Amino acid sequence: MKKSSLVFNSSSRAMNTSVAGHQVSQSSRHKWNFAGSQTRRNSILVGGSNRKRNILDRNANQAPRKPVRVLDNDGNDVTPLPLYHAEPGDMPSKPGRFLDEIFSSSESDQLKSTSSFNMRSFGSFLGSSLPSSLSTTASMTKGTEDSVPKLDIPIIPPPPCGQRKRDNVKQHVTEEMLDDVVDVCLTETDTISLFDLPPLIFMSEDADDTKAIKERNLQYAELCKNRTGNDKYVERSMQTFSGAPKEKQIQTDKIVMVDEGTFATIWDIYDSFCDQNKNPESEKANNPETTVNTSKGHEKRGEKSSSTLSIGSTIGSLLEMETCSLNAESNPELIMLTESFQHSLLVMERSIVANLFQPKLAAYRQLPIIKDPDSTVKPETEEKSEEGEESSSSPTLERLWAFSCELTRGWNITCMVWNKENPDLLAVAYGDCDSTNQKPSLICCWSLKNPTWPERVFHCHSCVTSLDFSANNPSQLAVGMYDGTIAIYTVQSRNNIHCIANSSECSKRHLKPVWQVNWSKQEITLSGEDRVEALVAVSADGRITKWLLCSNGLECIDLMKLKKTKNSKKKAVESKKKTEHMGSALTPGLCMDFHPTDSSVYLVGTWEGLIQKCSVANCHNVLETYQNHFCPVNSIEWSPFSPDVFLSCSSDWTIQLWKQECLTPVLSFTSAQRAVYAVRWSPNWSTIFAAINGLQVEIWDLNLSILHPTIVHQAAPGVTVTSVLFSRGTDCVLVGDSEGQVTVYQLKNLSVGQGKQVDSLEDIIGSAVSRYL
Amino acid sequence: MAEVEETLKRIQSQNGVQGIIIVNTEGIPIKTTLDNASTVQYAGLIHQLVMKARSTVRDIDPQNDLTFLRVRSKKNEIMIAPDKDYFLIVIQNPSD
Repeated sequence: MKKSSLVFNSSSRAMNTSVAGHQVSQSSRHKWNFAGSQTRRNSILVGGSNRKRNILDRNANQAPRKPVRVLDNDGNDVTPLPLYHAEPGDMPSKPGRFLDEIFSSSESDQLKSTSSFNMRSFGSFLGSSLPSSLSTTASMTKGTEDSVPKLDIPIIPPPPCGQRKRDNVKQHVTEEMLDDVVDVCLTETDTISLFDLPPLIFMSEDADDTKAIKERNLQYAELCKNRTGNDKYVERSMQTFSGAPKEKQIQTDKIVMVDEGTFATIWDIYDSFCDQNKNPESEKANNPETTVNTSKGHEKRGEKSSSTLSIGSTIGSLLEMETCSLNAESNPELIMLTESFQHSLLVMERSIVANLFQPKLAAYRQLPIIKDPDSTVKPETEEKSEEGEESSSSPTLERLWAFSCELTRGWNITCMVWNKENPDLLAVAYGDCDSTNQKPSLICCWSLKNPTWPERVFHCHSCVTSLDFSANNPSQLAVGMYDGTIAIYTVQSRNNIHCIANSSECSKRHLKPVWQVNWSKQEITLSGEDRVEALVAVSADGRITKWLLCSNGLECIDLMKLKKTKNSKKKAVESKKKTEHMGSALTPGLCMDFHPTDSSVYLVGTWEGLIQKCSVANCHNVLETYQNHFCPVNSIEWSPFSPDVFLSCSSDWTIQLWKQECLTPVLSFTSAQRAVYAVRWSPNWSTIFAAINGLQVEIWDLNLSILHPTIVHQAAPGVTVTSVLFSRGTDCVLVGDSEGQVTVYQLKNLSVGQGKQVDSLEDIIGSAVSRYL
Repeated sequence: MAEVEETLKRIQSQNGVQGIIIVNTEGIPIKTTLDNASTVQYAGLIHQLVMKARSTVRDIDPQNDLTFLRVRSKKNEIMIAPDKDYFLIVIQNPSD
């Protein structure tokens, strides 16, 4: 007799215990039965086929069952699959409760014998029914009645709601939550085996089971035999009453169905995809399909409004606008302050101006001028202009347009320079060089794309005399001023600080006007790529200085001091000068130019009329002195085509053409009896240069004539012409005057020779030289 | 802000410019130099046109986007600078 306190260890099988249970006394049997049923129920929940213990397994004592496979006659695997998969959230009710349900007995510990009997019969009832169902699939054809299947009672799902052990977090469902798009993830759980009916009838692979099974079967057969006629067993039947059905009606609100549609355009899909990748949380906010009807709490209205408008119907767009107006848009001021708005304004202004200036700009860029087909200009005026054009075939300057605006009206232009990298950018300095009164001056950066307003405006405290753009850093502009200050401005951004360096702290700075600044590429660096650029300035105090940009400003070193030359004729004058200047033996330098190919050599024009050729390496002695002018040399320039030739102009009314080796000028040009203030070679043709002498602009073409200028353009009365600049790549010349206007002229009808540029210049020079010899 | 105002004034004073309209994303004009009726008409119609144009450009290549739109007609030219926050519309008659 087995003791009631059976130890259920993991090695014991429930079958064994049930076998043992048959032998115990009645009193302990029910206990055991109950316990057995407990274990049985637990074993239901033990994973069958994959032998996994999951959380539903309460009783750790339960031995894991070996996977059971049912094979029919043909050897096919017809293992019954579990009928019920509990949801992962469903915790099993306590086995005791289940029993309570069925037998409506509150106390789980005490079971009457009737209950045990009921259990038995219940078990047997089920046992009889189940094997019958199994027999169709299994090869169990033996007397199923005789065997007590080791039955695991299948749990009928679901456990009653009231006794759910699961913690239900009561969520207060709010309106907003209803509108949320909820992501429901469906995943597959592990297989939870709830019903495991191992075969009991036929011999399975387990050898140790077989014997016990056989024994049990025998015992049961005996029991059944004993049952008939035994007083202990009473037949009893039961009837379940079916409750009276009752009809009940419910009414709900009609579920409103709305048809929605949208165009899934390619860019819409792309946008959604990008947004999803960028920010998966706000993905729901960007759902384009919910735009039309939802109008609450979404952030990016603008994007969605664009997607819904792609539907294209006016009704749709009107509805969209209505719903959008619910959301108050941000302040219009804020829109206008954004960077992109300012950029749009810039582009718009340029487009408008381009519309107006289109013919002129086309002429500048040497494009064919297309007549506007919709223009309302009368045909009469057109004819007149055509006639006018045909008649003049002589070289002339045709005015295209003028850079001028309210800001610059009335200023005197002192210097103009092109940007080295962007050929459309022009820097112009405005100011009055008045030594008595230091007046502030202006630097404007103009773009060809907008001749009506400068792109950048800088104010300087002193009159600007010279400008130069850097070639290494194209946004840096060097400025030389009348009071000797040298500054470097950056033209890059509109809002930041413009002046990045100033020479006012340098101890060796110039105290006299700086007449010219020049960026020039100097030594080759170790890497050999970018040559270091040096800023060189020539000033009225006779020094030529090289400036370097250090961390705390500009520092300078002297390259050359321009000494006065001894001239026997002027000794008396000199002595006077000596006493005046108190020992300063330097003469002001007015202009300089670096050699185009050999950047260590440069020319300086001085106040005395001398042109000194100096070298960067040698700071004490000049290499050559070219002496011809007897008045200050105002401008000097190497020819861009011929490396030995340079031009100089002076206040002595002459322009001289020199060759480097020859100490006397090769050619001399005079036209008007006025001081020549500036002379410039044309970068496009070797034999053309321009000169200004106050009232007129002269264009000389050495091919045509070396005695007279080819084109003479008179300035407007009352206006003096102060600076001239050629533009590279086009046949235009810019002229700055004292009224603040930079006028762009096109050189027309200049017949330029076909031969190579350098040769034609050399030929002319050669012929001139030969004339002297 | 003053610079922006100045630029707008300059644009307005250019030769041939008939009007400037700034419209926000919803199609509501926030600044205009035309009369109310024309402004509303322009704003509404151009809004749709820009949407269509932008949709076209982006359908061809979703990484592309519309930056500027010019409509040249017999009598004038409408230039539109669209952005995600606003439209800037300028009507000009260049032959004036």
